[in-house]
Amino acid sequence: MKTVKVTIQVNNEENVLQVKPYETLLETLRERLALTGAKESCGMGACGACTVLVNGIPLRSCLVLTAEVDGADITTIEGLMKDGKLHPLQEAFMEKGAVQCGFCTSGMIMTAKALLDRNKRPTKKEIVRTISSNICRCTGYKKIIEAVEEAGKK
Amino acid sequence: MNTDLNIVGKRVVRSDSLAKVTGEARYTADLRLPNMLVGKVLRSPYPHARIVRIDLTRALKVPGVKAAVSGFDAYGIKWGVFRYTQDHAMLPTDKVRYIGEDVAAVAAIDEETALEALSHIKVDYETLPAVFDPIESMKDGAPQIHDEHKNNINIHVHIDVGEVDKAMREAFIVREDTFKAAGEAYAMMEPYAVVASYKNGFLDLWMPNAGPHVRAKALSNLLKMPLNKVRVRHINSGGAFGGRSEVAPADLVASLLSIKAGRPVKLVLSREENATSSRQIHDIIATIKTGMKKDGTIVAKDYKVIYNGGAYSSTGPIATSIPFYVYEECYRFPNVRYNGYRVFTNKGIRGMYGCHGRAFLAGNEAQMDLMARELGIDPAEIRLKNGLTPGEVTATKSKITSCGLKETIETASERTDFKKQWAKRSRNKGIGMGCVAIMCGFPMGFRSGSSCYVKINDDGQVTIVTGLVDNGQGNESMVIQVASEVLGIPMGDINLVCADTEVTNLDPGSYSQAAAFVGANAVKVACENARKRIVAIAAEKLGVAETDIGLKDRMAYVVKEPDKKMPISWVVREAFFRGDPIVATGSFFPNIDFEREWVSRPWGQMAGTFSFGTSVAEVTIDPETGKVTIPRFTAAHDCGCPINPMAVEGQMEGSILQAGVATITEGNLWDKGHLLNPDLLEYKVPLACDMPEMDTIIVSSRDPAGPFGAKEGGLTVRMNAYSAVACAVANATGALFEELPLTPDRVLKIMETKKGVKK
Repeated sequence: MKTVKVTIQVNNEENVLQVKPYETLLETLRERLALTGAKESCGMGACGACTVLVNGIPLRSCLVLTAEVDGADITTIEGLMKDGKLHPLQEAFMEKGAVQCGFCTSGMIMTAKALLDRNKRPTKKEIVRTISSNICRCTGYKKIIEAVEEAGKK
Repeated sequence: MNTDLNIVGKRVVRSDSLAKVTGEARYTADLRLPNMLVGKVLRSPYPHARIVRIDLTRALKVPGVKAAVSGFDAYGIKWGVFRYTQDHAMLPTDKVRYIGEDVAAVAAIDEETALEALSHIKVDYETLPAVFDPIESMKDGAPQIHDEHKNNINIHVHIDVGEVDKAMREAFIVREDTFKAAGEAYAMMEPYAVVASYKNGFLDLWMPNAGPHVRAKALSNLLKMPLNKVRVRHINSGGAFGGRSEVAPADLVASLLSIKAGRPVKLVLSREENATSSRQIHDIIATIKTGMKKDGTIVAKDYKVIYNGGAYSSTGPIATSIPFYVYEECYRFPNVRYNGYRVFTNKGIRGMYGCHGRAFLAGNEAQMDLMARELGIDPAEIRLKNGLTPGEVTATKSKITSCGLKETIETASERTDFKKQWAKRSRNKGIGMGCVAIMCGFPMGFRSGSSCYVKINDDGQVTIVTGLVDNGQGNESMVIQVASEVLGIPMGDINLVCADTEVTNLDPGSYSQAAAFVGANAVKVACENARKRIVAIAAEKLGVAETDIGLKDRMAYVVKEPDKKMPISWVVREAFFRGDPIVATGSFFPNIDFEREWVSRPWGQMAGTFSFGTSVAEVTIDPETGKVTIPRFTAAHDCGCPINPMAVEGQMEGSILQAGVATITEGNLWDKGHLLNPDLLEYKVPLACDMPEMDTIIVSSRDPAGPFGAKEGGLTVRMNAYSAVACAVANATGALFEELPLTPDRVLKIMETKKGVKK
């Protein structure tokens, strides 16, 4: 089968890959690069569990073809720690008890990171609106909202 | 709260959360073993059909295919949770009974090859008439789904206490209503997945599960393998909510494929397969007749409840019973008759759910409010009047020990100004209350208890080993916290080995709400036994009596002279020197009447204790569209003692989503045997923007048998939140609901009926 050559930066590392033309970014990350933090939950862009940042924009990696993002800079949950230190969102999710089963957590944190990157102190309303793109079945979202608020203050 | 406690009762960071926020936590689909194959399943396109022939030969010829199996490769054994429910072959050879049932499977080097191979499997079916509605299914002449069950009645639970007919005749008011509810979707974020690896006669398995031991036992039966050769390993679970309790067809499929191929096989279900072919939730039709005295005392209840069970028994006897029990554990019923029927239909298999029984429970509560209003009594008062109190015995002879029901009703009422709000209801605004009690554990034979091993390592760090399971609710962190409290060693110094059938002992699992009351209790006992050994050596070394020794911050110290102390690690090394290292075991077995049986003997002590809870929902209704919104939700839960209040709140908040908000949004939709909303676009899981302001109140009743007084953490909300919403809508509209969820069309209909306007 014909493959497509792409070069992507993932968590500040360059990867030159030959991918299938129909390969999703989620598949590339999970199967080729062993970055399994992004999860496949719905496979159709409804839940946000596979959210990663593509050039700073939160995208559902199950709906993105890797061939489309040649040259892109991609950040996954695995790329959030800096110099062995947790990102404030990661810290806040732990401290506020925003994590239960954890399956939505990566996508939720990446979605929230994109928000904080463009708006350091979002209002609660803005947080609610933003994370309403992601489904969490466990928490009822309250502690997730509190965690994003808290991380914004850090 | 006991102020002597160092860490129990504190809002601690859960031990599992670091791995989860960094993306390092591994779930089944994340596993990658050398030479691993991809498994795919061919599913039945028919709701009911005889299997004439399954031909795998062409599939096996596809390059890259390493194994293909059907039920003819299995051992002809049928699984059932009970001896009398053994009807599920997992891979059928006689006939298929629902759309999506597993028929055959392949394992190949990659997904594309596996999918291609599926298209080469040839199955000849002879289609049969199918039935989807349980009422139709019970009629004479309906298609027979299992030969041995006449009229497709899978389970009939019959309870008859006192003299119901007489009490009804003598009651001041009697009311009978029928309530329906569509089954919800579990919609756990992790689609079901299994990795099976067969090597040297041993089968290792990873899958999200609520009880590895019962899972291993089922697979050892199905595969005719000795139990010790089937090892279910620990893995994170992306949510269960009751839907991961039982052995799944995918477990058998992946195992057979791995055995055949001699290589590990990973089988990951799609979101749609997870909805159609893992477990579904019962649709329920509940007819509820209630007799009351003039003062609001319930004198009799008469129930007929029909559960659409789908194609197989699953946990049928339990599912047919639980809604009744969580209600009778809450209220005093001097006379009660319950006829619960679980009926087979050609739909997916229905299992237990954390929110199981909403038609029954919300129906009971909403009907009670209407009757109370007729008598001039408000909902809080009627619940207090009929609610059970400590020391009372339920209708089916379970003794209630600790009981904070009254406190939950009172605090939830105060926080919401309930009485006033209820009285000043308007057509567009209402408030409602729901109560329930939850058994913490129930009879599961010798699996009802739990055991723990603890060893203190030479550096003073601790390893605890327990069969306990975490499906995301925080059970792992909870037992580490308990161990930390007893041993005076920080949580970070405690390693947990759990839910691995090779090394851990039996435990009820994350099932029957037993994790805190039973599992954590066993951990506490084991750690107390280890503690005694530490204290004995420390007392000897520090020259004081054992009763004078305290353990805290890795130190053994003299309570009255805290400066006199030694590190616990020194004590441990001394024990090694004496050739008697500090290891201990501990067990807990709850006080349950094991003569009790769901169908044949439905009475006796159900559980070691019960939790209690009250939810209050405030709703607004758009009179134009009938759309219900829930601006505020208050839940009070008697969990005995919150080991980690933050985790208990999290459970309560999640329950408000899954049971409360679900009341207006969630329900599976069907066209005969086709599930119309198997994905997360069509099935509306509430989002952050759909959530009410939530107020969670923890009530501590200090259970005498619970670890540090703990019972279970949050399930009452999961089984009373829908009642609160339904009662609030009834409060606003002045009329009872007929069917859940309370979608705008249904609410409009209620409002129009009440106005006497006909469409």
